[in-house]
Amino acid sequence: MDHLQNLARQQWLIPVIPLAAAAIQSLLPRSAKKLSAGLCLIAMGISCLFALRAFFATLGHTDAPQAVWNFTWFEYGTVSFKLGFILDPLTAAMAAMVTFVGFWIFVNATGYMHDDENFTRFFCFLSLFAAAMLGLVISNNILLLFMCWELVGLCSYLLIGFWFQKPSAAAACKKAFITTRIGDVGFFLGILMLFWKTGTLNLYTAEGTGALQRVGELLGPGWFGWSVATTIAVLLFIGAMGKSAQFPLHVWLPDAMEGPTPVSALIHAATMVAAGVFMVGRMFPLFIAGGSLEHPTFAMDMVLYIGAFTALFSATIAVAQFDIKRVLAYSTCSQLGFMVMALGAGGLVPGQFHLLTHAFFKALLFLGSGCVIIGTHHEQDMRKMGGLRKYMPITFVCYLIGMLALAGVPPFAGFFSKDEVLLVTFQRSKLAWGMATFAAFLTGFYMTRQMFMVFAGKWRGGDHNEVHGHGGHEPHEVPWNMWLPIAVLSLFAVGLGFFGGKYAHYLGAEEEELSGKALVMGLSIAVGALGIFLGWVLYGRKPLAHANDPDPLEDKLGGLFTCLNRKWYVDEFYEATIIRATTACGTLFRVIDKRLVDGILHSIVWIVRGISQVCRWVGDEFFINGGFDAGCQTVRGSGWLMSKLQNGRVQNYFRVLGLGTIILLVVYFLKS
Amino acid sequence: MNIPLGHYLILAAILFAIGLAGALTRKNAIIVLMGIEVMFNSAILNLVAFWQYKYFAVPTAQLFAIFAIAVAAAESAVGLALVIAVYRHYKSVDVDEMKELKG
Amino acid sequence: MNLAFWIISAVTVLGALLAVSLRNLVHCVLALILFFIGIAAHYFLLRADFLGTVQILIYVGAVAVLILFAIMLTHNVTGTDGPREILGVKWWSGAVIAAALAILLKKAILSDPLAMVLPAGDKAQSSVAEIGRALVANWVVPLEAIAILLTAALIGAVVIALEEIQKSR
Repeated sequence: MDHLQNLARQQWLIPVIPLAAAAIQSLLPRSAKKLSAGLCLIAMGISCLFALRAFFATLGHTDAPQAVWNFTWFEYGTVSFKLGFILDPLTAAMAAMVTFVGFWIFVNATGYMHDDENFTRFFCFLSLFAAAMLGLVISNNILLLFMCWELVGLCSYLLIGFWFQKPSAAAACKKAFITTRIGDVGFFLGILMLFWKTGTLNLYTAEGTGALQRVGELLGPGWFGWSVATTIAVLLFIGAMGKSAQFPLHVWLPDAMEGPTPVSALIHAATMVAAGVFMVGRMFPLFIAGGSLEHPTFAMDMVLYIGAFTALFSATIAVAQFDIKRVLAYSTCSQLGFMVMALGAGGLVPGQFHLLTHAFFKALLFLGSGCVIIGTHHEQDMRKMGGLRKYMPITFVCYLIGMLALAGVPPFAGFFSKDEVLLVTFQRSKLAWGMATFAAFLTGFYMTRQMFMVFAGKWRGGDHNEVHGHGGHEPHEVPWNMWLPIAVLSLFAVGLGFFGGKYAHYLGAEEEELSGKALVMGLSIAVGALGIFLGWVLYGRKPLAHANDPDPLEDKLGGLFTCLNRKWYVDEFYEATIIRATTACGTLFRVIDKRLVDGILHSIVWIVRGISQVCRWVGDEFFINGGFDAGCQTVRGSGWLMSKLQNGRVQNYFRVLGLGTIILLVVYFLKS
Repeated sequence: MNIPLGHYLILAAILFAIGLAGALTRKNAIIVLMGIEVMFNSAILNLVAFWQYKYFAVPTAQLFAIFAIAVAAAESAVGLALVIAVYRHYKSVDVDEMKELKG
Repeated sequence: MNLAFWIISAVTVLGALLAVSLRNLVHCVLALILFFIGIAAHYFLLRADFLGTVQILIYVGAVAVLILFAIMLTHNVTGTDGPREILGVKWWSGAVIAAALAILLKKAILSDPLAMVLPAGDKAQSSVAEIGRALVANWVVPLEAIAILLTAALIGAVVIALEEIQKSR
């Protein structure tokens, strides 16, 4: 354990190295592109090595090892405020994943952002984001976690709005920040309550006084008839809902696609949105406190059903999207729903395992879509693509691997993790399991739809050029620094699934015998295959011929398709209700300010001015001016006399100096 | 030799006064600077006298004197450079003619 | 040996007096050199031999030459100071101030028993090695500071005197 303890002491290195890189990069001029990218990559690489070292160090232990290291940040009076870092399997695996996937995403970004003039600023923000995310992951103190949480949100804002000259991007980053902020209110209330009830913000300490080690004390009554632990868990989960884009705070994630694709891959697929899931996993003892499989706590119920609902809800929307990144965004939302649902069912291991596998293949898919976008010269509408299999073979193969992993086709990684998720949900609630299975069916369907629309058939991009008149460019494969990362990630997408059992051991969970294994596994393969088959039927047999052709699903579903395309009108609903109400309040306060407050202010001003006028007439003109003038004359006269002393000759001044000294000495002698 | 310390101190005082008189009286700026040099030297003589009489165990006073001589030399160099610069402007080194500080 | 003190003192005072009262500038400088040599002799008498050597090297060797150069460059052609108002207010005031200062200082000195201390004689030894060691070991910071000061003075003097040459072209 000593070795682990030492490593825990050094955990701070993992986020600090990218932070230092970000600090240096922030001072670089715009032209230092290679230096900026180099710093970013090297920092991330070193961080990755440290994270992997910590990870391998934790692998050797049979039980779930845990090493914390707490230090005093500041003291007020007799109380000292401690922060700390933790090294346990959850953190180690997460940190290793974040640094590793992050590194490859950064490599891809050097290709994607190659022509952008704000290249250095981009990589500076990326380093800062990496530092914040890693800080979140290693934190042993809920407040430090929250600070890094906020910082990650800030980086998301900066990166989504990277091309802030586009009004849609500026609006999107604002929306993201504000929506997650709403969730953060709940998070912060949870932190406050935790501190109030336990008196500490540290999660684990060597003496056993950490908040999560004393969950047993928190079973007293809290709000709404729940226990205190459940109340805190519900509040914390509200924060996770915002960050991990669960219904109803999911609206920011699709708009976040306005940012560059590497940003989408990193933040909105692999890491930041996973932070919510990670946080729930980290605070899991709070969620399950006082409950069991038969009588789950309200927090677990809430998490389970919101996760299941989000999974289904987003999957339905993804079916009807035409932007390549939007499909992936809703898919992410849906998969996050899966993870959250697994956690709600009590399955910490399946949820976290799905998080890891999802990170790899979702990052792969996003980077692949980035390659597609670059290869088709910044085209994002899938209706204008097609036939890219011929032009971009490497991207096609990697994307295919990612898609199969996401759809849950064995033996790819997604199959194993999704299967475990469904299994553990089946134990808990058939309803949730049913929703999730339907969502899995839709996953297969929309991913197949995407594959066929983008890669099969013939290239439709030239179509609209006939209208616009400029020569169409044929798509091309991307350079090596863009396809190498997706190749590496696809290896993991293939192979990572087999480590599922080992991951359970690693996190310290026992291998339970769960009922219905065969049923669930068989059904999940069946629905996945059904989804793929239906996708082929609609989109693969007769690929779209022209960009303007209607979507085959559209005429089958009619109005429902439009509804799905418009995201179930959730945004419009928010606009009509909440935003209108807020704006109305704002207008009301503005009127009050103008009329009432300004009115009072103006009358006070009027009174004061009147008084000052009177004072001026009486006091100033008569007494003060007259007396002052006389005084001035006296001073001028004496000044004229004194100025004769300053004749500009330095030797004279010296003489006066000597004379003064003599006089002082004489006086001194006479006195003593 | 048994000259009491007081003799040396009075000698230094007399030299200081002579230097001061020169600095206060003469018209030529360079002679003023020479008077200042005389004052400097008398002060350093004072210092060395004390060293000999009371504090001879360590060479600290001599070092002090060396530093003081260095400072005095630097000061006289800069001072004379200034005199030259002023000469070029006023075409004379008469202190009474430099009264642009007036008022 | 007491006689040595009185003679050297007389020479020194004479040098100082002549330095501030002669009319010819170059004569003044020569008197000043006499004064410096007198001070150096006093240092030798006080057994601070290194300091005496330094005094001659620097003052006679450098400062006096510097003053001569300054005189040359600011040539009052005749080298004289012009007619002097011996009995003017200016002269009397300067002389009175100096005399008063001297008298007051003498009173201050004599009022303290310290003035009766006799010299240490052979007990006061100084070697150059000792001075050198102290300079580099204990007093290295002032040493460096003096080096910077001299550099600054050098540069400053050159800059000040040089600029005018370019301006007058």
